[in-house]
Amino acid sequence: MDYLEFKIKCLEEFREILIAELAEIGFDSFLETEEGIDAYAPEADFNRESFEQIIENYRDQAQLTLTEGLMPKVNWNEEWEKNYDPIAVDDLVYVRASFHEPQPGFRYEIVINPKMSFGTGHHATTFQMLRLQGEIDHQGKRVLDVGSGTGILAIMAHLLGANQVEAFDIDDWCVENGNENFDLNGLKTRMGLGTIRQVNPQGPYEIILANINKNVLLDEMKIYADLLAENGYLLLSGFYTEDIDDLVNLAKTLGLELKKSSSKDNWAALILQKD
Amino acid sequence: MAKEITGYVKLQVKGGQANPSPPVGPALGSKGLNIMEFCKQFNARTQDKMGTVLPVLITVYSDKSFDFVVKTPPAANMLLEAAKIKSGSAEPNRKKVGSVTWDQVRVIAETKMPDLNAFKVESAMKMVAGTARSMGITVSGKAPWEV
Repeated sequence: MDYLEFKIKCLEEFREILIAELAEIGFDSFLETEEGIDAYAPEADFNRESFEQIIENYRDQAQLTLTEGLMPKVNWNEEWEKNYDPIAVDDLVYVRASFHEPQPGFRYEIVINPKMSFGTGHHATTFQMLRLQGEIDHQGKRVLDVGSGTGILAIMAHLLGANQVEAFDIDDWCVENGNENFDLNGLKTRMGLGTIRQVNPQGPYEIILANINKNVLLDEMKIYADLLAENGYLLLSGFYTEDIDDLVNLAKTLGLELKKSSSKDNWAALILQKD
Repeated sequence: MAKEITGYVKLQVKGGQANPSPPVGPALGSKGLNIMEFCKQFNARTQDKMGTVLPVLITVYSDKSFDFVVKTPPAANMLLEAAKIKSGSAEPNRKKVGSVTWDQVRVIAETKMPDLNAFKVESAMKMVAGTARSMGITVSGKAPWEV
């Protein structure tokens, strides 16, 4: 997918007005420059008519000039990914990229080449999810990983002995990258594309993993609860420590009992169990 | 020792919706920052303002780490919302497209106070009213200081 790039020069006082109006027609982020703003839109579903109407409205009064270009989607995270440190979660697992040397002394090793997908173990949420997974018996279990990113949690489940692992993500880059990482770690499953409602996984699962964010978890928790087998575990992360109560309170109403909570750098992770 | 600052990036991103597509991806990626880390943090911190455009100032350090500050939504966004319209006027002096009350201007001004160079709410209100004028939105009634 390519992006249309609009470099807009305008008078200072019109900058935020243009941002406000462009946000109304679907632009979701802007770069503020010395002379104005840069705005981007996916080429596939761009509404040119509405865009040109706004530009015309302000062309004179904002002394606006516009340069249009095309920006192909590439891995913008490459610079960071070229050179980062591997991560050790206790003696449980060593998460490294292909360019790192293997390291002895760990029970498991995961190789992740992230390619602009989330989940390298560096973030406190991923780190805690891996650690909590190490405390749950995965042997012979059926596991679902929701919002899989690089696929790191699904791979951990596989290494811990899960019998069947399913994973999906809403981002097509994650799906491509996740499958590459599955191959690197001997996991045969293929990552699905879409939200949980679109993918419509068929339970029951003995373990469900979801490191996403508070809003999505609150929205989808009933689906997870319904998909869980009796006594099954739900592992959650992606929210702040102060939001634990909101998640736990909803979980209670769905028959999920808090078994453990952990916190790192103000990010929380939970183990819940279905009654 | 304080970390050395190597630059700043100024973005405006809808709350809870940061993702690695442009401009977030190229702007942060070119400075060697981990884009995914920023998106996770930004989305968590702005989860209560889903869909509202928020200015964010990112400080980049020499070790490729970063901090960021999320500011209040631009006055223009709040004015569109208050006037219940989607766009301003092409000829703001002649063609008015909506109106707001001084009470609404005050609410916006008070929200914006932390980010404006204004010590008094009246000064902030004048700035917000100025933005409204540039968009062809009238402020109905008399300003509180004229009463």
